[in-house]
Amino acid sequence: MGKEKKVLSGEKFVFSNDSQKIEILEAAFDYRGDVTLELVQGQTIEGYLFNRQLTEAPFFVEMLVPGEESARRIPIEQICAVTFSGKDPADGKSYEAWKAKKEKERREEAKKIESEMKQAGLLD
Amino acid sequence: MVPLSQVWTVASYVIGKKLKGVKRYPLVLMLEPLFRCNLACAGCGKIQYPDHILNRRLTPEQCWAAAEECGAPIVSIAGGEPLVHKEIDRIVEGLIRMKRYVYLCSNALLLKKRLDLFKPSKYLTFSIHLDGLKEEHDESVCREGVYETAVEGIKEAVKRGFRVTINSTLFDGANPERVRAFFDEAMRLGIEGIMVSPGYSYQKAPDQEHFLQRNKTRELFKQILKDRKKSWKFNLSPLFLEFLQGNIEYDCTPWGNPTYNVFGWQKPCYLLQDGYAKTFKELIESTPWEKYGFRSGNPKCANCMVHSGYEATAVNDTFGSWRGFAKTVKATLSL
Ligand code: SF4
Repeated sequence: MGKEKKVLSGEKFVFSNDSQKIEILEAAFDYRGDVTLELVQGQTIEGYLFNRQLTEAPFFVEMLVPGEESARRIPIEQICAVTFSGKDPADGKSYEAWKAKKEKERREEAKKIESEMKQAGLLD
Repeated sequence: MVPLSQVWTVASYVIGKKLKGVKRYPLVLMLEPLFRCNLACAGCGKIQYPDHILNRRLTPEQCWAAAEECGAPIVSIAGGEPLVHKEIDRIVEGLIRMKRYVYLCSNALLLKKRLDLFKPSKYLTFSIHLDGLKEEHDESVCREGVYETAVEGIKEAVKRGFRVTINSTLFDGANPERVRAFFDEAMRLGIEGIMVSPGYSYQKAPDQEHFLQRNKTRELFKQILKDRKKSWKFNLSPLFLEFLQGNIEYDCTPWGNPTYNVFGWQKPCYLLQDGYAKTFKELIESTPWEKYGFRSGNPKCANCMVHSGYEATAVNDTFGSWRGFAKTVKATLSL
């Protein structure tokens, strides 16, 4: 596939063979945003793919789906396509980006994060 | 100083495992009851998740069950920011009831206001994240003013009789003289000791540029720890400090610090995420351990010298043989 995770956001892959399926599912496991799986029966599931077993039987992926307590285990033979549907939460938040900002911008950003955290109840 | 009871607990635990012939055993459970944090540090790979993952929490019962299951005498509660967890006091209380030595890792932004939830105990230590003096720390956590808030929290916790340590991650470009000055300053705050580790790239950390390479790590720690001041106390194995300076060669023992979080038991270590196991037993039995650690040749492990991978090796060395114990005594006396 040879694509970086930043490029993956928004991309859809319909599998043409097993080795491509394994490669894409591995990339989906590595991806920090949500992905959408399309199943052979036509159903779709969107969630965070946090685990996979792709090299020995039983072959499966595991997903946490918003609003559901327990993880779902999906046999990989049921999956026919993957869309990297969620945005990559690590994007644009590098240390370099922070350092490159001017003093004033940093202060403004710090204030903004602080007020967001307060609103979310994560800071008193 | 680390209380003698803690040293004794760890020593007898390690010796007990050795006598029983247990090859892989945990020393510190790295418990992550949530990933949500009230900071967004560039060197941290723990918080880059969708909101529905950041909103998940381990329940106190899940935390206690993980501690019971793995049996490690020390539990380090990390995350995310543990003080954001609404039931953190219950989690800690339960672990103390189980007689586990708890290190609650925090950025201290909420510490002063949450201190009333806790009672001082030899089993509880606040391990406060400080990466350097004000300038370095605020830069490391990508927010101004965090150092001052953390220092206020530390002072208050010390005043109220809590055990407090600091944990520092050093990145590429760290200035040894500034780090030495930082150690002086930290000890003046009245803390019990310093925990220090070279930063190592979490696979998912947005900043991949500033993690130290192995040789640079050794050089940096040699410079920092030369003519070590008597006033500096380290909450670390003396042999781990020797390892950081390149005086001892160790390989990683990732099972020594197993990680449990909302996904399950993380394979193989605190930094890498190569999948998850449902139980601790499954983690130990199904992880291909030979594929990890410096000697494995795994490129992901090539430059890693972190505390969570190597301190368990050092502790194992100390209590695993008379030779190891003698090395530790020698390293301690040479301070
Ligand atoms: S050397 Fe050990 S702690 Fe470091 S990344 Fe590899 S397995 Fe993890």
